[in-house]
Amino acid sequence: MKEFRAWHLFLLMGLFGLFFLFYQGLWGDPTVLPPVIIEEPAPEILAPVLYEGEPIRLSDHLGKVVVLNFWASWCQECKLEHRFLLALKKRFEDNPNFVMYGVNYQDKDHLAKAYLEEHGNNFEHMIDMKGIISIDYGVYGVPETFVIDKKGIIRHKQIGPVMGDVYSELIEKVIEPLLNEPVT
Amino acid sequence: MIKLLALTVLFLLTFLLLFSQNLSAQTTPEPPPLSMNEDNLQTKTKEISQTLRCAVCQSESIWESNATLAIQMRDIIRERLLAGETGDEIRAYFVSRYGDYIVFKPRFRGINMLLWGGPFILLAIGMAVLLRKLKKWTARPEKEKPEPLAPIDETQRQRIEDELSSLK
Repeated sequence: MKEFRAWHLFLLMGLFGLFFLFYQGLWGDPTVLPPVIIEEPAPEILAPVLYEGEPIRLSDHLGKVVVLNFWASWCQECKLEHRFLLALKKRFEDNPNFVMYGVNYQDKDHLAKAYLEEHGNNFEHMIDMKGIISIDYGVYGVPETFVIDKKGIIRHKQIGPVMGDVYSELIEKVIEPLLNEPVT
Repeated sequence: MIKLLALTVLFLLTFLLLFSQNLSAQTTPEPPPLSMNEDNLQTKTKEISQTLRCAVCQSESIWESNATLAIQMRDIIRERLLAGETGDEIRAYFVSRYGDYIVFKPRFRGINMLLWGGPFILLAIGMAVLLRKLKKWTARPEKEKPEPLAPIDETQRQRIEDELSSLK
């Protein structure tokens, strides 16, 4: 039996580490990309509204929990989540610290309005024709939903529709705890 | 063996030093453009766009892609160039929004260092192992020394002498 030296151990650990990374890479879902903007200050938004009114400025809502939902009239998954979004707004409509906006993405005004007339609407929407807001938030596609805390920090990003368990978890594990956080 | 390991470590350190210098040279901030006419604005937009991955396409840069997101990203690059930002600042902006995935060339930091250095580390380990084996294979075998004989007692010595004298 040859002497087992310290460098043998380091070499083995290094090789094991490399193989572990390789193994993880084999089973990871290549469509899932880690969001990098979480826990970062939410980029400022100044955008025109879909219907008549003053432009929306995100920083006006510091001290409140803001939900931003990126959607488009051509997006099929957006249709699936829409009734859950209406329910979300309805659930917190009496809470003065809750704000919810839709961000209409790569769409046309008249199509977006027709979509809302068909599926119902109870919250405000802004227009992002040039994709400036969506790129600023690192959006890949729609639907995507962001939750911003009272200090203006992005605390959650949901890629894909908010529905079923995702909807329940979003309320119980993200929005309600954030609403209960004190404003400092 | 210690010499061999020291050589390997030296090789790796030299590589990392040279490589990091090379990278820092690459990441030296570019001077802001003094004037941006339409031609060099287009050239610069193309140059930066070719280094960024289209987030919604298969292995295409945002310069090659016609996806709406890629077109919008190109517009943002153009606007930022006009605002006086450098290529590195623009790339850094996209990385801050989409992560390292958005650049074709991963940055030399964090776990990416393993990506850059991993093959060279493995090569160095392979070379060290190979050198060690070669050294063993090519080493001259030592001349075999006869094993020391066990001392013999008086009876055995007498018997040997008797047998030798009987041969004469």
